[in-house]
Amino acid sequence: MNDIYILGIESSCDETSVSIVKNGYDEIATVILSQIDIHKNFGGVVPEIASRNHVQNITIVIEECLTKAHMTMKEIDAIAVTYGPGLIGSLLVGLEAAKTLSFVYKKPLVPVHHILGHIYANNLVKPLKFPLISLVISGGHTELVFMQDHLKFQKLGATLDDAVGECYDKVARVMNIPYPGGPIVDQYAHEGKPNYKLPIPLDDGSFNFSFSGLKSAVINLVHNEQQRGNEINKKNLAASFQNVVIETLTHKTMQALEKYHVKNLIVAGGVAANKGIREKFTLLCEKSGIDLSFPEMKYCTDNAAMIAAVGYYLFRAGKTSNLELNSKSTSDLK
Amino acid sequence: MKCFYLDTSTSYLYAGIVSNNELLYEIKDKLDNNLSTFSLSLIEKMFDELNLSPNDIDTIVVVNGPGSFTGVRIGITIAKTWAWALNIPIIPVSSLYAMAVSCDKNIFKVPIIDARRNYYYAAIYDKNNNAVLSDCYIQRDKLFNYLEQLNQDYQIISSVFLENAAMQYNPDILKIVEYTKNWNTINPHAVNPNYLKLTEAEEKFSGN
Repeated sequence: MNDIYILGIESSCDETSVSIVKNGYDEIATVILSQIDIHKNFGGVVPEIASRNHVQNITIVIEECLTKAHMTMKEIDAIAVTYGPGLIGSLLVGLEAAKTLSFVYKKPLVPVHHILGHIYANNLVKPLKFPLISLVISGGHTELVFMQDHLKFQKLGATLDDAVGECYDKVARVMNIPYPGGPIVDQYAHEGKPNYKLPIPLDDGSFNFSFSGLKSAVINLVHNEQQRGNEINKKNLAASFQNVVIETLTHKTMQALEKYHVKNLIVAGGVAANKGIREKFTLLCEKSGIDLSFPEMKYCTDNAAMIAAVGYYLFRAGKTSNLELNSKSTSDLK
Repeated sequence: MKCFYLDTSTSYLYAGIVSNNELLYEIKDKLDNNLSTFSLSLIEKMFDELNLSPNDIDTIVVVNGPGSFTGVRIGITIAKTWAWALNIPIIPVSSLYAMAVSCDKNIFKVPIIDARRNYYYAAIYDKNNNAVLSDCYIQRDKLFNYLEQLNQDYQIISSVFLENAAMQYNPDILKIVEYTKNWNTINPHAVNPNYLKLTEAEEKFSGN
C-alpha cells in the first residue's frame, strides 16, 4: 500500500501548530508556535489575543512545516484539522485555513476531535494497544475515555467544572506563582509536606471529576491565613493540593481499568507532564500489571502531530467532511 | 486577469469574481453567525457555476476590517491561505472605504459599523472618496459633532440598521476592485486584520 501523508492543523488554544505525519505514526515534521510569553502578561490565555495571534501566524507555520519536511502540498493526501473542543475564535483560524487548503488543492478535509488527538499522540511513540483507557488531563480538559479499537471510543467521564490544569493555574495564582504555574506547583509539591487539610473532590462512584471545590478550598485557605496574618507555607500547600489531585485522578482511573477489564492505560494532555502524577500512576500500574504509557513530553501539550496521527485513521475510515465543516467550542466524543 | 473579492467583516458574506472589468458573479448573503460554516462552500459553488478553479485567480482583494473581529479573521484567513498557496498578491481594503466607494451620491459619505456600547467604526469620505476623517473607533455623539462642524451634506451608510438616515450598504464589487487595483499588494503572510481596537485585556493592561 502507498504511504499516506496527512497535514495536521491545530489551533484550539494558544498554540499554532502544523505537522506532517506519515501513515499515522511516522512524524515527518512539526512546527509549534506557542503564544505562552504573550499570555503570561495577563495571567492566563486571553481568547481574543490568542485568535489574533493565530491569524498572524497561520500561513507562516504552514510554510515552515512544509519546508522542514522538504515537501509540497501536492504530496499531501489529506488535511486534518481540530474542529473542537477549544476556544471558538482560535479554532476558527485553523479551520478556515484547512478548508481553504482543501478547496484550493482539492484535498480531502478530515475533522479531528482534540481529545482524540491527545490519545493518539501515543501512536507517534508506539502503536496503541487495545482495548485501552485514556486519561486526558490538560488546561482545558479532564476526561476518561475507553477505546475498544481504533476510532471506537466511549467517554466514561469528564470534569463537571474546572479542568485539572485550570485548577493548577488558579491555585498557582493565589500563591503568587506566575502563569503557567502548574510546573512550579508540581516542583513545590515535591519539596513540601502535605499537612494542610483539603476536601476530597467528587467521590460519587461515577467517572466524573470536579475540581472547583478543591480550588475554592485552597483560595479560601490562603485568604483566611492572610487575614489572620499567618504566612502560608507554599511548598506544604502545593504538596497538600497535589496529593488530593493525584488521589482523585488515580483512584477513578484505576477503578475504570478494573471495571472494564482493561490492561492498557494512556495518560495524555499537558498535565501528563506533571512529575507527581507520573510517579503515582507508574507505581500503581506496576502493582496491578497495567501497561502504562505517557506521550513524550513534546507531544503532551497541544500539537498538530497528534491531529495528523489520528487524521490518518479517520481518513482511511472515510470520515472526511465537505467545506461546511464548522468548529465547536464544546463537543463530546462521539 | 481574474480577481477574487471577499468581505466577511459584518454579518454578510460579500464575494465576487471580477475578470477584465466585468463582474462574473457575486454573493451577497446574510449569514450572521454562520459565516464560518457557509462562506467557503458558497464560494466553492460560485466557482463551480462559473466552471472556474481557485487556481484561475490572479489576485485577491480582501476586506481587512474594521468590523466583527471573528468575521474579519474568517475573511483574512481564507484570503491569506489562498494567496499563499497560489503565490499570488493580496490587496487589503478597508470595509469603510469599500462602503464609501459603493455609494454613488455626490456628497460626503459616512460609512458606519456598530462597535457596541454607543461606539462606531466610522470614517468620513468626501465625494471623491478621499478621507476627511480616517477610519476610526469613535463615540456616536463625537461622530455627529464632527459632522455638524463640517457643515456638509452627507450620506450615512451601514450594512445593518443603525441610524434612521442610513442607507443600506450594497457593495459595488466591480467598482471596489476597480478603485483598488493599482494599490500596493502585500505578501500574504503579512496580511492581517485591522481591528482599530485593542482587546479589553490589552486596554486594561496598558491602563495600569
